[in-house]
Parts: sequence; C-alpha cells; structure tokens
Amino acid sequence: MDISRRGFLKLSGLSVVAVATGLGLNPEVVEAKGYALKIEGSKKIPSICHFCSGGCGMLLYVKDGKLIHLEGDPDHPTNAGTLCPKAASLRSVAYSSARVTKPKRRAPGAKDWEEISWDEALDRVAKKAKEVRDASWKASESIVNAKTGQSEVFEVNRAEGIAFLGSAEVDNEESYLISKFCRVLGIPYNEHQARI
Amino acid sequence: MSPSFGRGAMTNSWSDLQNAEAVLIGGSNCAENHPIAMHWINRAREKGAKVIVIDPRFTRTASKADIFAQIRPGTDIAYLGAIINYLLANKLYDAQYVLNYTNALLKVSPDFKFDAGLFSGFDPKTNKYGVDTWSYQLGPDKKPLKAETLDDPDTVFSKLKEHYSRYSFETAEKISGIPAAKIKTIADVLAKAKPATILYALGMTQHTTAVQGIRAYAVMQLLLGNIGKAGGGINALRGEPNVQGSTDMANLFNNLPGYLPAPISTDKTLRDYLVRNGSIQEKPLVALLKAWFGDQANKDNDWGFAFLPKLNPATNATMVKVFELMEKGQFKLLFNIGSNSLVSIPNRQLVRSALTKLDMMVISDLFEVETAQFWREPGVNPADIKTEVIMFPAAFIYEKDGSLTNSSRWIQWKDAAIKPLGEAKPDLDMLDALFKKVRRLYAGSTAAKDTPILKARWNYGEEPSALKVLQELNGYDETTGKLLPTLADYLKAPLGSVSTGCWIYAGVTGNGNLAARRGNTDPSGLGLFNNWSFAWPGNIRILYNRASCDVNGQPVDSKRKLIWWDSAKNLWVGNDGPDVVDKTKAPDTPEGKQAFRMNPEGVGRLFAAKYMSGLPQTPPADALPVIGIRPAGLCVDGPLPEFYEPIESPTVNLLHPKVSQNPAALVPSAFPDIQKRGKPENFPYVLTTYGIVEHFCAGGVTRNIPWLNELMPEPFVEISKNLAQKVGVKEGDKVEVSSARGKVTVYCLVTDRLQTYQVNGKDTETIGMPWSWGFASLSPGPSTNELTIAALDPGAGTPEYKVCLVNIRRA
Repeated sequence: MDISRRGFLKLSGLSVVAVATGLGLNPEVVEAKGYALKIEGSKKIPSICHFCSGGCGMLLYVKDGKLIHLEGDPDHPTNAGTLCPKAASLRSVAYSSARVTKPKRRAPGAKDWEEISWDEALDRVAKKAKEVRDASWKASESIVNAKTGQSEVFEVNRAEGIAFLGSAEVDNEESYLISKFCRVLGIPYNEHQARI
Repeated sequence: MSPSFGRGAMTNSWSDLQNAEAVLIGGSNCAENHPIAMHWINRAREKGAKVIVIDPRFTRTASKADIFAQIRPGTDIAYLGAIINYLLANKLYDAQYVLNYTNALLKVSPDFKFDAGLFSGFDPKTNKYGVDTWSYQLGPDKKPLKAETLDDPDTVFSKLKEHYSRYSFETAEKISGIPAAKIKTIADVLAKAKPATILYALGMTQHTTAVQGIRAYAVMQLLLGNIGKAGGGINALRGEPNVQGSTDMANLFNNLPGYLPAPISTDKTLRDYLVRNGSIQEKPLVALLKAWFGDQANKDNDWGFAFLPKLNPATNATMVKVFELMEKGQFKLLFNIGSNSLVSIPNRQLVRSALTKLDMMVISDLFEVETAQFWREPGVNPADIKTEVIMFPAAFIYEKDGSLTNSSRWIQWKDAAIKPLGEAKPDLDMLDALFKKVRRLYAGSTAAKDTPILKARWNYGEEPSALKVLQELNGYDETTGKLLPTLADYLKAPLGSVSTGCWIYAGVTGNGNLAARRGNTDPSGLGLFNNWSFAWPGNIRILYNRASCDVNGQPVDSKRKLIWWDSAKNLWVGNDGPDVVDKTKAPDTPEGKQAFRMNPEGVGRLFAAKYMSGLPQTPPADALPVIGIRPAGLCVDGPLPEFYEPIESPTVNLLHPKVSQNPAALVPSAFPDIQKRGKPENFPYVLTTYGIVEHFCAGGVTRNIPWLNELMPEPFVEISKNLAQKVGVKEGDKVEVSSARGKVTVYCLVTDRLQTYQVNGKDTETIGMPWSWGFASLSPGPSTNELTIAALDPGAGTPEYKVCLVNIRRA
C-alpha cells in the first residue's frame, strides 16, 4: 500500500477518531472545546518570526498582559498559518528563566557579575564612549596621492577607538539608530553579521 | 548581484517561487534553514517544476529533488562555468534577451586580458587588481561602443565565450566530483525550463570566491533570460530576521544607509565624493544629511558633509577584520548588539584573544550569550582579563514596536504584544538614552569635533517611538514638514528640500504606515500580494520586471504578466509596480528600454566592466575633475567569474596550477600563532559546516529553548561509511576533529548522506558539522569555529566557513 505522508496523517487522524468514538466522545467537539478554553478571552496580536529571513507571520494570544499561546498567522501570505519548529517554540522566550532581566556589570578581573541600575549602566557607557572618543580622535591624516606621489593632509573627523557590532537581529529602526549613532559620533567602524 | 543587476538584493519573493518551471538550489539547505521556501517550491513541483539540488551532502532539501548532485565544497564555479560554456556553444541562450537586456554587444577594451589564472592589472606586491583594463571601448560621446553582431571579436559576448571555452563537462567533473553526464542533464533542464529560479544562501557566499560564485549565477540567468520575471530571478536567502534591513541601514563600515558609499579621507568636499561616486549619489546623501542634521546641513556648509567621518581608503574593517584590528589594540570600546562572535566568527581563537584587549565591552542581548561571558570561558582565568563588561537586558521581538525587512524586501511592521520581561528594554530605548547622555556630556563644547553630536537632529520623543524613526526613514518635505507621500515625491523634489534616513524606504509611511498593511488578496495569482506590507523600492515586488517584456513593452510570458506598456494611457502599468526609469517613457525611448536602470549601461552585466555614465565629451572649462552620473558596481577580483580552489584545498587548480587560489583573497596572517594554515598531508579531509532546523546561527536564542534542545541536544560530525571504516569508528563513537587551528570532540554520525567522490582521479572525503554551539546556555557544546579558517572573500569580506582541511580520529 502506497501512502503519502499527508495521506498517512489523515489515516492516523481517522484512527484517533475511531478510538475516541469508541469511548463515546465526539473528538471534534472535545478538541474545539479544549482549544476554546485555552485561548478564551485573549487578544490576537499579529507579529513576525525572529529567525530566518522568511518573515513569517505569527499570531500571539495575549490575556491579562501575558502571552498564552503562539501560532502561525493564517492570513499571512508567506506562511499561511504554518510555522517551523523554531518559530513554534518562540513563546518560551517570553518567560524564560534564562533571560537577562537586569543590567549587569562585570568589573575588570572579576569572577562574576554585579547587578546595576539602568541609569548607572548608561552613565558608565556614556562616560567611556566620551573618554575613548576623545582619546582616539583623529582630526586629520596624511595620505599619499597615488598620482602625484605627494602626501597631502585631509580632515577625517574619525573616532578610531570604538567599534560597533550590530545587528541583523534587531528592528529596522534600531539598526538605523545604530548607524546614525555611530556616524554622528564619528565612528565608521560599524559592522554586523551580514558579512558572515 | 549588485555588479550584475545594480542592486544587491533577492530579486523575487518567497511566494513567487511557485511560478518557476525549474528551481536550482545550490548553496542552500532551505528545507532546514528557510523552511518556508519549501512551502512554495512544493507548489511549483506540484505544477510540474523540476527541482535541482547541488550540495556536498544529501540534505533534507535534496530529498525533494528531481536531480541531486553531490559537489565538492567550493567548486560551484567549475560546474556553472561548464553550463555557461554549453549554453554559449550550442546557442541555447535567449538571444533577444541577451541582445536587448545585457551588455553582450558592448566592446571590451583591447587591454583586457586573462592568462593562466590572472586577469590583467594584477599587482603581486599588494595582491590586488588595478581595474582600468576591465573597461569598454568608448566612443567620442564617452559611451561604450556597440558592435553590430555578437560575433564581433571585441564584444562582451565573444570574451565570455572565449573565457568559458576552457570549462568542459569533463573538466568540471574532475574538479567538482559531479559526473559530467549529470552536469549536462542539469544544463539541458535549465535550457528548456523557462522561467527558472535559483536559490542560494551561505553555501555560496562563505567562500573566498563568494562574489564570483553569485556572478556565475547571474551570467547564467542573464543568458537564459530569467531575470526580471515571475518564477525567475536569483534568490539570496538571507540568514537572519532582519539582515536585509540591517544591510539597507548600513551597519557596514563602507556604506551609509540606502547603499550610499561611505566617504573616504580624500573626499574633502561633497564634490570630491561625487567625482568618485557619480552625481546620482548627491540627492540621497544630501537627504541623509538633512535627516541627521536638519537645518544644520545646508548649502552654505556643503550640506554638512564635513560632519561625516571619513574612512582611510586602505582600511578594511569588515566583520572579521574588526577583530584583527581589536587584537592589534586599536579598539578600546566595543558595542555588541544581538551578535555572538565568540561562537560565530571563524578561527574563534582570535575573538577570544581580541576581547581581552578592550577596556570595555557593552553588550545587549536576551540571554547571556558566550560573547557576554568570554571572561569566564572554561580554561580562562577571569582575574587575567581586565575588560569591563556592561550587559543590557534586551526586549524580544514581540515586546517592542518596529519593523523587519524580510528576504523578499517586505518591510513588515509589528506592534508590541506584551511588555518586556523584567527590566528589559528595546535596543531603541537604550540607544536613544545613550545618545542623549553622551550629548549631555558634550554640552557647551565648542570643539569642531563635537559639533555633529551637538547639532544632530535626534527627536524621537521622551520615550522613543519606533514609528517616528520609521517616518524619518520615509522622509520629509523639509519646507512643509510633511511626510513624503511616495518614492516619486522624493525623486522629483529639488536638492536639499527633502530629508530621508534611507531613500529606498521612501513611501513606507507616506500614506499611513504601509508596513502594517494586511491586504492578502492576490488578484494576479502570481503571489505578488501588493497590499501586504510594503516592499522597497516603491512597493515593487519583482525587481527588474521591465525585462519580463519584449522591446515593445509587452509581456513575453502570457501566463505570468507582471507589467506592460499601455499605449492608450501612455503609461507603464501592470500587476506589479513597474521597475522603470519613468512610467511615462515609452518602451522605445532611451529610458523605456532600460531593464536594469540601476546599472550605468541600463542593461544586465555579463562582464562587470569599469564604467561611469554621463561623463562630459570635452573637459570642463573650470578644469576641475569631472563628475559622471552613475558608476558601475565592480568585483575586485575579476570582471568574469573564474574557478579558484579554496584556501585550504586537498588538490591544486586543474585550470591553472600556478594560480590555484583566488589571488586577491584575504588570507589571514597577521597573527601567525592563531591564524594557521593546514596542508592536505596533515589534514586530508574537507570539512564543511552548516545549520540545522532546530538551532539558529550561533544558538544564542535556540540553545535556551528546552523544546529545541530536546530535539537537537548537541553537535556532531557526519562522515561517509568509507571514511568510518578507514578511521575505524562507528556511529555513536566520540571522535576528535582537528584542523591547523584547533580541535573539538563530538559524537560521530556515519551516514549515506555523504559519499566518497573522485577529485582529479583521487578518492576524496567531505565531512560535515553543524556549528551552532558554545560553552554557555542550557545546552552547551563545542564550537565548530574552533576549526574553521578566517580566509576572506576580497570583495564581500565573507569568511570561507564552508571549506577547511581537517583530520579525524577516535577520541
């Protein structure tokens, strides 16, 4: 007997029905009721998957501010409700105990982190950015003109000591602000994983 | 793709794959890494399309193929060259398309040469090419001379024919391991099945011949007439959720947003910049400076051009090179957002060492990825590492408003669904707060270097609004303060009267937030979905679609009509947005003929010539250097794709043994203790690395998801049955895999997915390893990038992850 994968799934579905019916249950009703209970009273919010560049649509079911269920967005033209195993697992990121939930600092030479406030973290970084920018500032540089062999001085307006990696993992607006932040501070060394 | 077609983006879309009559997948295991691609490829198959898969392994994608060819990693140009040769020799190309929409008829300079593996202009002292001879013969009007027929010996077409005449099916077999008869079968399928599409991903780009491999695809697709058509194209399956967007936004050292070249030291003024880059860049650069500096960028101060940092033209600061510069001590402060270099960079020993050279690393991520805690990697003494680390808790995708641009160039908006966990915040908030703090530290400064910070336009609200940022990308009419309604409004506005943070995004929020559109009807049935979100540029879904019409502007494929010239309305119209210079210019006008309007020649480039359009016929009276209109995109390692061996290779180049590898490739050597190079005597097997469906890239997210860890708990190595027998291991044994740079111990999978093959008459083995693991997370494991080599493509800077030499033994 030649059974395609889809046919096989249909067959196994039928056998579940057969067993359930044997127990005096109507599985369609049971399934529909169970599903309704889980998502009852929740709000459906569309979103976009965060793995490959497919940009598949996800539907998030949110109840009392909590993400209670996640599935493929049936209205999305690319994935029409389907999701791969990675996308389907994304609900678990929302409340993962492994998430970083507070700013942290590792002091030079320290063996562990210490928790710090957002304000202190930002202050430390802003001060360091100014310190390194000022110390590594290159206002001009001398370059040999390939045609004349003469060296000439050019204004370059560049902070040499800061690099910024990021990112294909953030939104367009964030990616753009990274770009703008760097160039406004005089940092040309902004790169990210598109190269690798 | 940009040197071939003018834009470096996937030409078609996910939902367009269903329109193909043949699908060539080479350098992508999309069934695992872009599963949604298979959804649309299967639709094409159901309609009778042939699927061809080229891969070193029999992958999950290969299991759906009509034709599967196992290839030695890094030898794609050899078999593609043979197909190109066969198409040319047997006149199997689309003659009308080649004549009208490519540079086939243009005459190449007599100084252009190719001999024994080297193109003309090579400087062995610097390992770089001078590109002056890769040019056209120009007429008195400074335009390329056009031959009467393709057979003229000076044409691009004749040069192409001559170049690929060396690539027989038999030679390709000896190099790639694919049987000659199979390559011919593939060529015959592609010659007949129109349109055919190509899918590739990192399997093509992670080589020292990355750009040239894609150029080979471009040459083949242009000859077959497959670009600009529904069901055709070259689809670069981008690897990350917003890698299209982050590239558009220029998180790249040599660009500014919207693919503007970054200014260099010798650009004293905007005029100098335009001499190098063409007048076409004036408007977007001025609009960008207006977006960044508002009224502070004006005609009197050269539009604020001096505010921008200027790169030293000799600096290469591509991703891997950043770590070399860091190891040398240049950088004291590193920002690292959403990136896990300690797992993802090849020859990761360099990253481990370089991070210790910093004063401070600032990291923002969801989880404590390996890079965040490099100072406590097993075997490292934290007391020895003086780098201060500040870690910010980042909000996840559904905890923040914003947009992502997928591989189809669809800019898709999503609203925050829930609040960020704990004290986590969007990176937008972090960047906004940080900029404001830095600006406060500089308050009152009168130093010239601080002016750009103090004068920058930066107002996204007390709590920054992502929509306001997207509106800045869309752009404003600076005289009225109103959003630019469409890309056309940006294009017709006078210089300096508009701002846009990224000109190709103009129109995205001009008439409401079009990125949030959810219209999913598809009246044409071609999967265009024009009312779903917004595609750049100007909501065009299939790039270069002018090429889907004949010279009279009528669709050549009546089943797949994208656009056409409506002579009653005197307008280009259609199912898709027309990718034309001007919608009102008829198909027989100079503008209306251009199928590739982003190229200076207006046609697709079989030969990537050096060329600038619009140069004046006589020297200008003011004696200043002349400004042309549009320069062509160049490949730094040759105008025609040529096969070169990988940097670590088990054999020598059959075509030119004395120039075995890409002569312009960047082979790391600055740190000999770290950057070692192996020889086949010691490391006889070819290692290729890859991703798997259960984990994503460096695993920073997926290794913290228990469900995925249960599915795929740890890394492994897969080898052929022959190799298993040879080294005396069986499935489930622990084995040590070593390269010149390092070693890892993992479980062994003995499989039929890899087969022994013959290279130049010699039995050869490829072994495969996924790479998504590191020492941290819920599911740690050894990092495969302990083994890989950081040799780089000279143009794109992509490392050769896909090929290095290794040895294997029982652990």
